[in-house]
Amino acid sequence: MFEQFKNLLVNKLKVSPDLITPEATREDIELDSLAVVELSIMLEAEFGLQVTDDELLEAENVGAMVALLEERGAKI
Amino acid sequence: MTSPVPRPAVICGIGSYVPPDVVTNEDLTRRLDTSDQWIRSRTGIATRHVVAPGTATSDLAVEAGQRALKSAGCTDIDAVVLATTTPDQPCPATAPDVTARLGLGGTAAFDVAAVCSGFLYGLAAASGLIAAATAERVLLIAADAFTTLIDPQDRSTAVIFADGAGAVVLRAGQVGEAGAVGPLVLGSDGELSHLIEVPAGGSRQRSTGRAAPPQEHYFRMSGRDTYRHAVEHMTAASRSAVERAGWQLANVDRFAAHQANARILSAVADRLDIEPERCLSNIEHVGNTGGASIPLLLAQAAQEGRLAAGHRVLLTAFGGGLAWGATTLRWPQLTAF
Repeated sequence: MFEQFKNLLVNKLKVSPDLITPEATREDIELDSLAVVELSIMLEAEFGLQVTDDELLEAENVGAMVALLEERGAKI
Repeated sequence: MTSPVPRPAVICGIGSYVPPDVVTNEDLTRRLDTSDQWIRSRTGIATRHVVAPGTATSDLAVEAGQRALKSAGCTDIDAVVLATTTPDQPCPATAPDVTARLGLGGTAAFDVAAVCSGFLYGLAAASGLIAAATAERVLLIAADAFTTLIDPQDRSTAVIFADGAGAVVLRAGQVGEAGAVGPLVLGSDGELSHLIEVPAGGSRQRSTGRAAPPQEHYFRMSGRDTYRHAVEHMTAASRSAVERAGWQLANVDRFAAHQANARILSAVADRLDIEPERCLSNIEHVGNTGGASIPLLLAQAAQEGRLAAGHRVLLTAFGGGLAWGATTLRWPQLTAF
């Protein structure tokens, strides 16, 4: 799950792959709030996932975001 | 594909104007907690033009209107349509004053209020006047002194909005002519009217008989929600406009979207598979000029040679209302001022 989320960040949001670790915060991976809106749109469009940008913004780090997706039953 | 309008409106002149005073990102960092880097990465803007104290929207509109008339080589106008969110006064419309100052005398004149989609809704109004033979020639001006609505301490809007005007002359033409405005796609969603607004100063607040807190007289925008809806509607309206014109997205030579924010523009272009080389943009230097954005972009691009005769152009806008629109045209041979 982490790998698939990482691929999405790298391929679609142009995040540098070496920045992405489970402990990395949103600031560490340089995702501002508009990029988080993009991310929530993509998660819905590509994987049918309902995750709001508010929920993603509240997640402490990448690991927490992945946990949230897993909780939503993501099958990326 | 939609059946073509028998008497389409054809663009035969274009002009634009920005007021001379410039505010740089550096200037803004002196009064706001922000940085050049933040503003550029978030919005794509480096500088914007602002009205001097005492300058109003009509002043911008008259300049742009004169330039469009010069471009068209005519002063024989049957109607003046002014798209604006920042009229000189709440009453009357600003168009009659602009019309008088352009020396157009008793010509029909009215304002169109569709915020950042004002130019596209204005094209709809002008096309309608021409199709019904109410007018042979229409001067459509889109002008905003948007900075007059902005809270100078609101970082989220103060860095984005700016002032300017663009104008086109439209004449009755033939089906398939270069410059003919293609089928117009328009839409709205009033349930989300609160996302982009100036709440006070109108009948809703005034009928209460109570003064509103000062912040409610300023423009405010829910940034993230606006981003989401802008991307969705500009993308959908663009696809629809292209389809109704009988084109493919791959045929589009130039994509001219309302210059809201560079991030929105690239998200929409990405979804439409339109590469950066085909995208027109001037937001870096002029910011978000509200309704003026599209004609200002087209005029500047034409002057710089980035937009040339024969180019198939896709226009789209989105903004307060919510309201959005899109259309297509082939750029005509003309000199832009």
